[in-house]
Amino acid sequence: MTTQHRINLEQNGSAYACAEDDTLLRAGLRAGLGLAYECNVGACGSCKFDLLDGEVRDLFPEATGLRAKERERGKRLACQCVPVTDCRIKIRSGDEYVSAIRPQRFKARFVGRTTLTRDISLFSFATDMPARFLPGQYAMLSAPQLPQARAYSMSNIPNKEGIWQFIIRHVPGGRATTFLFEHLRENDEMDIDAPFGIAYLRTEVKRPIVGIAGGSGLAPVLSVMRGAAGLAASAGPVLLYGGRTPEDIPDVPQLTRAAEIHVDYHPVISAPEAGAAQSWGGDVGFVHEFIERKLSAPLPDYEYYLAGPPPMIEASVRLLVGDHKVPQDQIHYDRFF
Amino acid sequence: MATIKLCKAADVSPGNSLRIEPENLPPLAVFNVEGEFYVINDTCSHGDASLCDGEIEDGEVECPWHNAKFCIKTGKALTFPAVEPQQTYKTAVIDGEVCIDI
Repeated sequence: MTTQHRINLEQNGSAYACAEDDTLLRAGLRAGLGLAYECNVGACGSCKFDLLDGEVRDLFPEATGLRAKERERGKRLACQCVPVTDCRIKIRSGDEYVSAIRPQRFKARFVGRTTLTRDISLFSFATDMPARFLPGQYAMLSAPQLPQARAYSMSNIPNKEGIWQFIIRHVPGGRATTFLFEHLRENDEMDIDAPFGIAYLRTEVKRPIVGIAGGSGLAPVLSVMRGAAGLAASAGPVLLYGGRTPEDIPDVPQLTRAAEIHVDYHPVISAPEAGAAQSWGGDVGFVHEFIERKLSAPLPDYEYYLAGPPPMIEASVRLLVGDHKVPQDQIHYDRFF
Repeated sequence: MATIKLCKAADVSPGNSLRIEPENLPPLAVFNVEGEFYVINDTCSHGDASLCDGEIEDGEVECPWHNAKFCIKTGKALTFPAVEPQQTYKTAVIDGEVCIDI
């Protein structure tokens, strides 16, 4: 069995066991603790901690989630550190970070890929146990061939059949997505650790849902809308989706039809000069520029779920919170930047 | 309008800050920027963190949690993920005490 170390939390005296091959963050979440986090991949900095005692190994010292100054002062990221000894740490926590479904590690079998655009595909994996997660959450995918785990959001909803679906963009030269798109064969196994993320569907909220997505950010937003379809919402969801050119826009109506949900869908392209633009009869610009135009009620009357490129998220949040006074707790996104 | 004493000016040296918890007000951050005193709300407008734990540089304070920067003088949110400004207070030093008008 893998060696376990004891991690003691300075702030409230609680402790948990962390295996030598597990990160401080994920093991804490597995133990039911609400350790603060968002991205799990070293980018957001939300899980920074002070190591007061003990020794850790940093898997990703170049991670952008910490400034050089913070590193010098001894700060580390819980999502990138594995324990070498027992440790005492000081880390932020909150009830909002407690996992409703505790993350687990398991094997999943690759069962197929469907092309959605020239560089975005829908990947499906199967497991022997039910797929348990909240709509809008993500999974960490890893394989022995890959140096680091990657975070991908589920596009489907929890199911007894054990199917996990992800919408993934092939990043040119990207090691993980090149592996997924070019080397993964049917029935190959990958390691999944899931679920994670705090941008999950708030089932208790009755406000109509607005999804704002770009690129592979379609996955969690689609999952949220599918999850919400089972609830008695006051109105149908609205989806704004941004892509560079018409070729970058997936057939969302086909996806929502297949999922048997009704969505008020508005695609927007940002690069009208590229290629087949002449045939594009729709909106041109940045997706956040259309939020106000596509919504009939005042913007604070909606609940927002965002996923996509960082500039899209930043511009949308600025518009919603800064210009339209939408309360920040009505806007949900996991910051991967 | 009332004037409230927060702390002695000598308690906050240039380049530093001090967190004060006055009655009936949110926690406040008193900053000394090159001898000038400024007071803004201490809790970051984005996450639940104390700006008095943040780095101060060039008249800006960086939230210690998500690294959003604020202008100490105007309270303006300068970098994401913060988008809302920090509330500012009219500040003066009276008889060696840092005071605000509320």
